[in-house]
Amino acid sequence: MEGLLVSSKPKIKELLVESACEHNKGHKKGPCNTPTPGATTGGCALDGAQIALFPFADAAHLIHGPMSCVGGAWETRLTPTSWPGRDLTQTGFATDINTNDVVFSGEKKLAEAIDHVITHYAPEAVFVYSTCVTALTGDDIDAVCRQGSERHGTPCVPVHAPGFVGAKNLGSRIAGEAVLRHLIGTKEPEDTTPFDINLIGEHNNTGELWRYRHLLEELGIRVRSTFSGDGRIASIRTAHRAKLNVIVCAKSLISMTRKMEEQYGIPWISCSFYGMTDTSNSILAIAEALGDADLIARTRALIAREEARLEEKLIPYRAVFAGKKAVLNTGGNKSWSIASALQDLGIEVVATSVRKSTEADKAKARQYLGEDAILMTSPASQQAQVIDDTGAHLLLAGGRSLYTAIKKRIAFTDVNQEKKKSYGGYDGLLVLAEDLKNSLQNPVFELVDRKAPWQK
Amino acid sequence: MAEVRRKTGKPLQVNPHKLSQPMGATLAFLGVDRCMPLMHGAQGCASFTKVMFTRHFCEPIALQTTAVTDVTAVLDGGDYSITESIKNIGDKVCPALIGVHTTGLTETKGDDLRGVASKIEAPLVYVNTPDYQGGLESGWTLTVQALIEQLTEPCERTDARKVVLVPHVSMQPIEVEKLREFIEAFGFEVVAVPDLSSSLDNHLGEKQASLSGGGVTVAELEGLADAGAVVTVGASVKPVGATLQKKNPAIRHRHFDHVSGLVGTDELVAWLLETSARDTPPAVVERWRKRLQDAMLDSHFSIGQTRFLLVAEPDHLAAMAASLREVGGKVALAIATVDSPVLGDIEADRVIVGDLEDAEQLRDDYDIIIGNFHTEALAHRVGKRAVMRGFPNYEEIGSALKNDVLYEGGAYFLFDIANAAERMRESEVHHARERIKQQGAAA
Ligand code: SF4
Repeated sequence: MEGLLVSSKPKIKELLVESACEHNKGHKKGPCNTPTPGATTGGCALDGAQIALFPFADAAHLIHGPMSCVGGAWETRLTPTSWPGRDLTQTGFATDINTNDVVFSGEKKLAEAIDHVITHYAPEAVFVYSTCVTALTGDDIDAVCRQGSERHGTPCVPVHAPGFVGAKNLGSRIAGEAVLRHLIGTKEPEDTTPFDINLIGEHNNTGELWRYRHLLEELGIRVRSTFSGDGRIASIRTAHRAKLNVIVCAKSLISMTRKMEEQYGIPWISCSFYGMTDTSNSILAIAEALGDADLIARTRALIAREEARLEEKLIPYRAVFAGKKAVLNTGGNKSWSIASALQDLGIEVVATSVRKSTEADKAKARQYLGEDAILMTSPASQQAQVIDDTGAHLLLAGGRSLYTAIKKRIAFTDVNQEKKKSYGGYDGLLVLAEDLKNSLQNPVFELVDRKAPWQK
Repeated sequence: MAEVRRKTGKPLQVNPHKLSQPMGATLAFLGVDRCMPLMHGAQGCASFTKVMFTRHFCEPIALQTTAVTDVTAVLDGGDYSITESIKNIGDKVCPALIGVHTTGLTETKGDDLRGVASKIEAPLVYVNTPDYQGGLESGWTLTVQALIEQLTEPCERTDARKVVLVPHVSMQPIEVEKLREFIEAFGFEVVAVPDLSSSLDNHLGEKQASLSGGGVTVAELEGLADAGAVVTVGASVKPVGATLQKKNPAIRHRHFDHVSGLVGTDELVAWLLETSARDTPPAVVERWRKRLQDAMLDSHFSIGQTRFLLVAEPDHLAAMAASLREVGGKVALAIATVDSPVLGDIEADRVIVGDLEDAEQLRDDYDIIIGNFHTEALAHRVGKRAVMRGFPNYEEIGSALKNDVLYEGGAYFLFDIANAAERMRESEVHHARERIKQQGAAA
């Protein structure tokens, strides 16, 4: 019981100097999360915590703060669920604090809000997020959550990720911390298998998880829990009994898996399911980490079957993509994971962005793209020239770069499209192929910059 | 008149449509040419706001943050983060104006914005917009007032031909343009404050969004006070009239709660005729009035048998309800984001300040929903049809060019709504027929 009496606020400093954060190495400026006034983009810790936890559709997500923290952002995350009850991922809850709550205290309102949520929506758990204002005024959300849990018998989990502590990455670490502290290990599973795994950092965005989960199951690998795509509170509470943690494209959660290794002796590996090569490598890596010779053999057979099936379906696209060159302008692990998918399709990736990339990401990008490729450090100003120099046919970037593609009259694909459509796993590659083909064959990029009749 | 409930009576918002005061401020600054809105707070508020407007307008949005952290929050009264921001912004771009607006965090710690601003050389307007007060409308209005108070030079003469137009926040860029051109057609020169019609109107430009690309210029803002009249549209911006009159008491103020539908537009036209001393309006105005009359008759049958739920900002509710009422639409329920003096005048059976949970509970009261993109999912849950209007709309493209105001937009609006109502009834008939068929097959 003692643990409950101390604050569950994670030690921000510890999370910031997390050794697994590559940005810290050899950096003079200090932790990577220190934002520059007037030159900062990207969401806050609260945003990151929400992204990490929102996919739990059987839990309510209650934001204790004003409407800036939730107003335009709820119901925007396309993380589908198979949870048969009401989809609470797509339900916005906020205390919408007013002057009174700021001057006096928002605790009573928060307690009543928890009552309202549990009475009307019967969630499996309630995540309560502090925000800048309620953290500054010192509302004790730990106490309110503890009392809420006692009152209702439903776990109420405080998430201390007010935006002023840092950026999204830190928020997702804090979310991991909260789940580790308040949920994981609070329930024993009914049965376990030698091949139980947790998927950490897989958000099932646009149904990505569903592109490969069935293959794991076919091999007898059981997904005990996910953090948190198509996740269930009941399963994450038993996550400590898994044999392996698989981190999916989410370096920020390494601290969580490291702690699970310390506390429960669960080893972890890091995977990506983007493109054919990465998907195959990842499935095999999981089998190898589970260390069963028969499983490994069956996995190799399954991979061979899936690759052959995919290759056949890709035949019509091969001619379209033959000799095509692409410039990729996106951040972080996408700088190489998308590149790998493009290469699977037979597209040559001549340049990628390594702005804000970690040393490991840069090394990986180099390894995937080869010696001749250009690693752009300031893509916004470089990409037009790079397109000229390489004769690229396709620019994959965020919407902001569309104008560059139009000026250069080459095809454009919005990489953020993947927020709406799943390009993951084997079948996702077919979706990507179709979208790229449509881009390459679309006349709009040439037409739209056509000279007007009155222009000379 | 309507039954009005001005308080939510709940400890929380469930499925909120309310948006925050700083968001309204950002949008207002985006209607100033070559402006960099600078949100004074931790980085997340600016990010959420930027994402929201980027998705709504399908345009890159210029917005920066002072990126207050737990360290600066304790040590700094705003001086450091604001001056640093302005320095860093200046390293990259050269804005004609920096629009500093606060958030709950910086208001709670009590930053002295006026003091900081007085020490800064760069062209700057500041406004206090804590997000635990007000909403989108008040953030917009406070910013317009700040622009005038801090930039407009006092003046003693007036130019009878010059009109300052102040639209409410829910008017989309094309609506501002239509209204501006409408007034200009009567021989006036119009300055819209703010003017989203040239900045966020979905035009192809150099879309790097380093600064707002269009809008009212700083020079125009400085010279506002020689206008003959200020026209405010929407109850939320009514106070702006007095703000401008402080710079020149000779300016006449004419207020309209909305310029929607036949009567609403007639009132504007009557005033324009009187002020311009014309007997008849321009021919095109007359023509559009006839088209609207026809649209009203064409749509009355469908809309007249339909019960509506409207979900929007108060001024937007007033405008839409007036249009629908003119052709017999029954506005059963209007849900406002925040309280407003206009709520009592909305032509609806019931007006409440509330959220979409309220809408869900009162599902038996209405057939068609008009509201922001969240009402699409609501419509699925309660088995109704939704028509997208208001902020934000992530479901559809082209929001910036959707015109519902004046005679012309009024006609389009009625067509849109009547068609949606008809499609809804069609599909009901279809389902009923299918049921009967199946029963027949089973028997
Ligand atoms: S920075 Fe703070 S106030 Fe802003 S959205 Fe994030 S948690 Fe909310």
